[in-house]
Amino acid sequence: MLKTPEWGMMIVLYFFFGGIAGGAYFTAAIADNVGGRRAARVALVGYLLSLPLVALCGLLLIADLGVPSRFLNMMRMLKFWDPMSLGAWAVGVFGLFSFVSSVMCFGPFEHLATLRRRIGLVGMLFGFFLASYTGVLLSATAQPFWSEARLMGALFLASGASTGMAAVSLILALTGDGPGHGLARVKHADRYSMIIELVMLALFLALLGSAAKPIVSGHFAPLFWGGLVALGLVVPLVLDFVGHGRKALGAVSAVLVLMGGFILRYVMVMSIQS
Amino acid sequence: MARTLAMFTDTSLCIGCRACQVACKQWNELGMEQPEWTGTYQNHAHFTDATFRLVRFIEAPGASPSGDLAWLLMSDVCKHCADAGCLDACPTGAIYRTEFGTVNINQDVCNGCRYCVSSCPFGVVSFNEHTGTARKCTFCNDRIHNGLGPACAKACPTESIQFGFRDELVAKAGKRVESLKAMGFKDAQLYGADQKGFLGGLNAFFLLLAKPSTYNLPENPKVPQRNVVVDSLLSIGSAVLVGLGALLAFRDRGKGDGGGHA
Ligand code: SF4
Ligand code: SF4
Repeated sequence: MLKTPEWGMMIVLYFFFGGIAGGAYFTAAIADNVGGRRAARVALVGYLLSLPLVALCGLLLIADLGVPSRFLNMMRMLKFWDPMSLGAWAVGVFGLFSFVSSVMCFGPFEHLATLRRRIGLVGMLFGFFLASYTGVLLSATAQPFWSEARLMGALFLASGASTGMAAVSLILALTGDGPGHGLARVKHADRYSMIIELVMLALFLALLGSAAKPIVSGHFAPLFWGGLVALGLVVPLVLDFVGHGRKALGAVSAVLVLMGGFILRYVMVMSIQS
Repeated sequence: MARTLAMFTDTSLCIGCRACQVACKQWNELGMEQPEWTGTYQNHAHFTDATFRLVRFIEAPGASPSGDLAWLLMSDVCKHCADAGCLDACPTGAIYRTEFGTVNINQDVCNGCRYCVSSCPFGVVSFNEHTGTARKCTFCNDRIHNGLGPACAKACPTESIQFGFRDELVAKAGKRVESLKAMGFKDAQLYGADQKGFLGGLNAFFLLLAKPSTYNLPENPKVPQRNVVVDSLLSIGSAVLVGLGALLAFRDRGKGDGGGHA
């Protein structure tokens, strides 16, 4: 007779945007550090995208509290074994990195590019944290569906990376990716992330076994199989492989990946709560 | 720390009168609720933000000593676990352990994140929409700090709920199991009395007449926060894989701006 926390749409959105913010920042940091001049726009878009998203994350997290005005109570302590506690801190710290990296992409700071790259490498770790801790948070509960596979964090991380890259690629496709071929590289990286996500998802289901019932059968199943597995992962992968870099197809696949990322969080959070 | 206090609920003595449930409501000023139809005398189905003591009415075919239908009664409550999932989960420190070993939620600190709700292995903590905070049994924190026992234990007419020092109650409970066994209740057993057992022992422990699962109690509950290490390591593994993929994709192959496909 376990109880669910009745987390709703705000938490689903928080998990979703947190994943994109972390994934976009990490993509930017890698592009900034190893991509050279041709990936400069990837770095710019990634850093700049993470900033409003992490701000939104903070707002969603606060708004969902029973007593939002007491959100600072989370800052009374830091519990190293407690994802809820670490997460609240991480949103703040990552927001700081995101802000600094974004500002350092512009005019007067350009000669500090080396410093920006270093900062990106550290901030990236917090980005990874933001994308994955929400999964670890779910698995550190008494709910068998959330906890028994032990892979929720790994899965959310792969999804955060793939959705972050999809979002960056979509913006590049819509605004032009400037000199170089940054877009193609993000797409390339996104393919790896999607494949990793698919493998994680398969492992997740295998490890959960019968506890996976809430998503593999029942009324969340069509959304899970159709929306996430088929439309959100397999179809975009196929589109990317057969599309040969055609921009329109690339954009469609990015939108599908984003939708899949949302559905992943939605079915994971909601399927045992209604 | 003062000597650990405990409540021992001996379900074999319970007559289902619900004096405890009412006493709890009255003392803790818990509001009225919409009743629920559960198919038995039990009301409500689960703990709520205004029901901290809950008498469960369980009909278990074949569980009586003669192999007939057993009508089991159990006055359930927060277990005040020695290793408490709710306490480990709370990011604000609102949930704390008192000097008596009980677990309490400070209503002025809780910000309603609800993490404790899903972290209790027994589904005890409930969210109160009006206060926006998490609520559960306080072990009558105000009473035990003034030399009184919890209201439920005080009200119980059959001494099914006993209050006292933990070590003394455990010894007493052990003897009671022996005599019940001698009377033919072969499945009589203690639940949560053993400090070396699950959750470091429960400070509100029980004597059951059947397997814990018959009462819908987990056989071997765990502190959910213990999952964090494995899950985090696997997440790091996932991060390394994703990072390698991105490195492969972005690595500057060749020199200059030529060959711009990835
Ligand atoms: S029974 Fe649940 S609410 Fe009570 S102390 Fe244990 S974990 Fe916390
Ligand atoms: S709801 Fe309140 S008591 Fe429960 S974990 Fe959150 S802050 Fe702590």
